[in-house]
Amino acid sequence: MLLVARKNLFAERTRLGISVGGVALSVFLIGILLSLYRGWSQQVGGFVEHVPADLWATSDGTTDFVAAGSVLPDSLGVQLKLLPEVDVVSPLIVRPMEVYRAGTRRSDTFDIQLVGYDPKVGLGGPLEIAEGKSPPGPGEVVVDIEMHKRHGVQIGDRLVKGTKSLVVSGFSRGGDFIYTQVAFATLDTTIDFLELEPRTQRTFFVLTLHNPSQRDVVAARVEQGAPGVHMVSGKDFAGETRDRILSNILPILIVVLIVAFVVGLAVAGLTIYTATVEKSREYGILKAEGFTNPYLYRVVFEQSMITGTLGFLLGAGVTLLLAPFAQDTVPQFVVSVRWQDIAGIAAATLIMALVAAYIPVRRLSNIDPVMVFKG
Amino acid sequence: MQGAPPLILQLDGVSKIYRSGDFSVNALADVTLDIRGGEIVAIMGPSGSGKTTLLTIAGALLRPTHGRVHICGTEVTNMDESHLASIRRHKVGFVYQSFNLLEALTALENVRVVIQNGSRNGRADAMERASHLLQTFGLGHRIHSLPKRLSDGEKQRVAIVRALAKDPDLILADEPTANLDAKRGHEVMQLLGQKALELHKAVVVVSHDNRVRQFAQRVLWLEDGHLTDHPGG
Repeated sequence: MLLVARKNLFAERTRLGISVGGVALSVFLIGILLSLYRGWSQQVGGFVEHVPADLWATSDGTTDFVAAGSVLPDSLGVQLKLLPEVDVVSPLIVRPMEVYRAGTRRSDTFDIQLVGYDPKVGLGGPLEIAEGKSPPGPGEVVVDIEMHKRHGVQIGDRLVKGTKSLVVSGFSRGGDFIYTQVAFATLDTTIDFLELEPRTQRTFFVLTLHNPSQRDVVAARVEQGAPGVHMVSGKDFAGETRDRILSNILPILIVVLIVAFVVGLAVAGLTIYTATVEKSREYGILKAEGFTNPYLYRVVFEQSMITGTLGFLLGAGVTLLLAPFAQDTVPQFVVSVRWQDIAGIAAATLIMALVAAYIPVRRLSNIDPVMVFKG
Repeated sequence: MQGAPPLILQLDGVSKIYRSGDFSVNALADVTLDIRGGEIVAIMGPSGSGKTTLLTIAGALLRPTHGRVHICGTEVTNMDESHLASIRRHKVGFVYQSFNLLEALTALENVRVVIQNGSRNGRADAMERASHLLQTFGLGHRIHSLPKRLSDGEKQRVAIVRALAKDPDLILADEPTANLDAKRGHEVMQLLGQKALELHKAVVVVSHDNRVRQFAQRVLWLEDGHLTDHPGG
């Protein structure tokens, strides 16, 4: 590292602080937004992905698990079970809705994703029980533990919708979709609670196969034999669910990421530019002493790189430090910090530093060393 | 029999015309000057007489409009900027009126950075040489001081050390006593003259301070861009 670059940079501590702070703020914003996106991405598709099914049967045109706009006849389950490749078939009734806790105001509603399943089969039911009784009995529901954290739902509480209610019998894990959480009940309880007519309609069927490698063959055969039925793998259905929820957020996220990048670039660029302008005379002295333009460019680039590196370390450090606390404070703030994202942010910071040095470098080449003989 | 010292600086019919729109100013007019190693030449003249223009052309910082410039036998008149920088790096040392030390660097670092730029030797060698030179100039106790902690006399001594540090053949001093009181000015000129003679450097001092004359072997006068042996000549 060049002595002049280091000494000049650290001699102006306030300016360096502003510059590093600007880059760090930018890195922090980019880091926290990316982590939030990753966290949400994992969370909203997590349940569908973790249901140990080889295939999901949906009605054609169904977009995702959360909207659950699929209607299938119960008889499809019987047909699917007759296929020799199929091992287990589990019908699900899924419905997004708003409920409130008995004893609270009717306006204090929150979203739940009611999932009716067959406890005898189990597939499509709770992934893991955290507390209480499972499977739920008649008139009972097992809710995701996030509902307890966010809405204060306790075991024994009644969740009310209209004139119907369900008693919370336990807490499960792995069914958090950020703005809603799954609540599991038996098929009969769900049909009664939703007052389904006809009672034979189902939302999805989840299947396991004797040989999962036959998934595509089975899917093609079902779609051919049962028009209006769409077969999809758990991974793809999880992806579609993620896309449905996050595609609305993504454009906003990209704009905010660009703004964060530009803020960091502007702060670093302006501070390095003003430092270069203020030190014009000293750069003139160096030119007069025989230092070449490339040497002076290196001084500015090194200053920019040091600023970028310090800003990155500070910003990334604050991100790693604050992210878990933020998640504890605000449950919806689900973050996942990936090293690939950190590497990407480091690359973005490098670009930031290089671009920030570009304009000052252009100015350096125009400095006339004769100026040092004036005054 | 020992021959004459080598020619270090040759200006041959050098003119400099500054143009701005329809206006033009003749800063230097047909200046011819030869300076040999070990010679101290004072160029006297009033403000605006072209002294600084002469110095910057002699120092390979400015190209003349007409004429030729040789430094240590090499013609620099039409050299490109990178070659001019190389000439300044190896052949020319500057001493400025306003010292022009780098404010964030200590006295030692101000000297060291110039030595390192001019040589392939490492940091340790440059440090050692810079430290030795500063001690020789009575600045051993100030080597780790920043310029803002030095007196003006000390700053100018550091500047002279910096000019000598890269062992140039030509030293160009621009009003080196202008910002110093009489005593400090005398000390600085005495030091510059003594070291230049010891090390066989060619020294050009431009000044309008008459005290400078006593340290020069030759005094020239510059007025309205014309260089002469006598004032008003």
